[in-house]
Amino acid sequence: MAQQEVRIAAGVDAGTECVKAAIATEDGRVLGRAVLPTRGYFQACVYEVLAAALDDAQRHEDELAGIGATGFGMDCVPKATLTSTEATCHARGAFQHVRHAMTLVNIGGRDPHVIAVDGEGRRTAARGARRCGLGIGSFLMFTARHLDVTPTRLQELASAAGERPARVSSYCSVFSASDVLERLREGATREEIALGCMHSIAERIIEIGGFEDPVVICGGVAEYFPGVLGAFETQSGLKVRTVPDPIFTAALGAALRVFRPRVEAS
Amino acid sequence: MSAPRTELASTAALRETMGAYYRGLGAAAETRSAPVAWCTSVGPAELLRALGFVVHFPENHAAMIGAGRTADRYLPVAHAQGYSQDICSYLTSDIGAYLSGESPLSAFGLKGVPRADVLVFNTNQCRDVRDWFEWYGRTWGVPVVGITSPRSVGEVTASEIEDVARQMEALVPVLEGVAGTRLDAARLVAAFGASRDASELWERCLLTAANRPAPFTFFDGTIHMGPAVVLRGAGEAATYYRTLLAELEERVSAGVGAVPRESLRLYWDGMPVWGRLRALSTTFTEFRTAVVASTYCNSWILSALDPADPWRSMARASVELFIARSDGPKERYIERMVELYGVDGIVFHDCRTCPNNTNTRYGMPRRLSERLGIPTLVLDGDVNDLRCFSDEQARTNIEGFVEQLADARAAISRAVASRAAS
Repeated sequence: MAQQEVRIAAGVDAGTECVKAAIATEDGRVLGRAVLPTRGYFQACVYEVLAAALDDAQRHEDELAGIGATGFGMDCVPKATLTSTEATCHARGAFQHVRHAMTLVNIGGRDPHVIAVDGEGRRTAARGARRCGLGIGSFLMFTARHLDVTPTRLQELASAAGERPARVSSYCSVFSASDVLERLREGATREEIALGCMHSIAERIIEIGGFEDPVVICGGVAEYFPGVLGAFETQSGLKVRTVPDPIFTAALGAALRVFRPRVEAS
Repeated sequence: MSAPRTELASTAALRETMGAYYRGLGAAAETRSAPVAWCTSVGPAELLRALGFVVHFPENHAAMIGAGRTADRYLPVAHAQGYSQDICSYLTSDIGAYLSGESPLSAFGLKGVPRADVLVFNTNQCRDVRDWFEWYGRTWGVPVVGITSPRSVGEVTASEIEDVARQMEALVPVLEGVAGTRLDAARLVAAFGASRDASELWERCLLTAANRPAPFTFFDGTIHMGPAVVLRGAGEAATYYRTLLAELEERVSAGVGAVPRESLRLYWDGMPVWGRLRALSTTFTEFRTAVVASTYCNSWILSALDPADPWRSMARASVELFIARSDGPKERYIERMVELYGVDGIVFHDCRTCPNNTNTRYGMPRRLSERLGIPTLVLDGDVNDLRCFSDEQARTNIEGFVEQLADARAAISRAVASRAAS
């Protein structure tokens, strides 16, 4: 019975590579979560992922106080009671774990952002990558196909490369993809190329600038490709940390915004 | 859903004014009743008018192509001629349209762009205009003349003005030869007077946006600046701006804003994204944000023009133009505009194919943000090549930027209220 007294909300982050859902309580406990690759119509993905997250939480949709939506496809989230920008949701979700001001770096499937988060969990500024630096998810998918592994195995390959990343351009996703093919032709190992791709992504993030300690990383890339974090640390000289379940950060933030759409200054 | 914008009634008069200009241009070119000159947007238009030329402005034509979203058909045609996709997409879309035998001027009864008897450039804005005109000069076998202006000018010096003034005077014999007439000093003074009047009225129209709410936005300005661009040296521009100014002043008196329930105010630096004017205007309106001023629309305020000293004043107008300046004077200019219009943030358009009218690449947004204490946003895009513009990326960035500004303003309001209460 006590369970029914706790208000819960769903957050849905409809991203370009994955659709994520989190069921959270008002005090930020995550009761259930689910993630699915984005395919076909966003609406269909959302129905599926929301049902899976509710199932994971052992809850029903009619128990929800609301559904917060964010991400590229946020306008396609059926029954959403609130839509919010990705930067705001990432800030809110990360703050739930970190509880202090930070530079938050969201690396997702599409466009990475460097987000300044204040001591109340509010996004105070956000900067994105150059247009040519976008499409990180598609780039990794392309790379995985040409290295003949599932995308999630890229990390394993990169981990086995030692200190020798193959040179993969960071200027533009198309140039980077072309570099992957050239390195294969030259005989670079798959491990070296996988690590080179992590460095390519890290370079795109570093050039956005605006990093102040502490630097926290979230998003799907942090979840599946932690090699990017290592490359980022190596190249920037900055120490970074991640939040738990980094791919669900924005979904958690979207759920929390259902309870408190705006965080007031204390 | 935000309330829809109220269109300006003057738009009907604008259409008539611009339509009459295009039809007149077409008739003169067709019947050979007057020689035709092509002129860059801040080239010596008054001189050409005084010599009896009808004047075509290819940048205006290219902007029409961009606004009509047909550039994507024409760009590859020019690229196939060896003109890179990295150079000015005004140039490439205009030449591509010509080679395709199409023009937005057909809406005004013209068969295409009017064939030039002479093309007159001024490189105060970029080198591309010269390359652009030289393509037509070679194609038609007609003279291409112009002024090579200093670029990245710091403080404007007398020697720079003298240099440009001498170059302008040196155009006279060539242009007289093409026009078949001698330059009449009285006509030159009259053309300068007309430009000066139009410029002053255009400036007053733009300044109405310093009021809250602003009766006029950057997006309106990009359309209503038409007469200031194509009718320099002709009286019709001033006539139109008297009409527009009266309406804008009425709006100010009645407290009518261009953006319903205006909340935030922004400054726009860089070129318009012609093919996305309406979409961007709608997005900002949706967020109750008025883009109240811009470097672009202000560039046709040519305060230096002086009928009493035509050569040097024309040279000064050319040299002191924003686009021709170094970052120091540019930043001081934007700072003045930020204060004058009371803006909350600055949007910089990083125009892919127009580096000369892009001020994002040498750290200016960050310097201004730090100095002025207001945020800046850089939007990637292009003036005509919409392949360089992502609707979703732009919307995401604008949405986040507006949210950030609104949060900052709310925090200030709360702090003020709390101080007042204590």
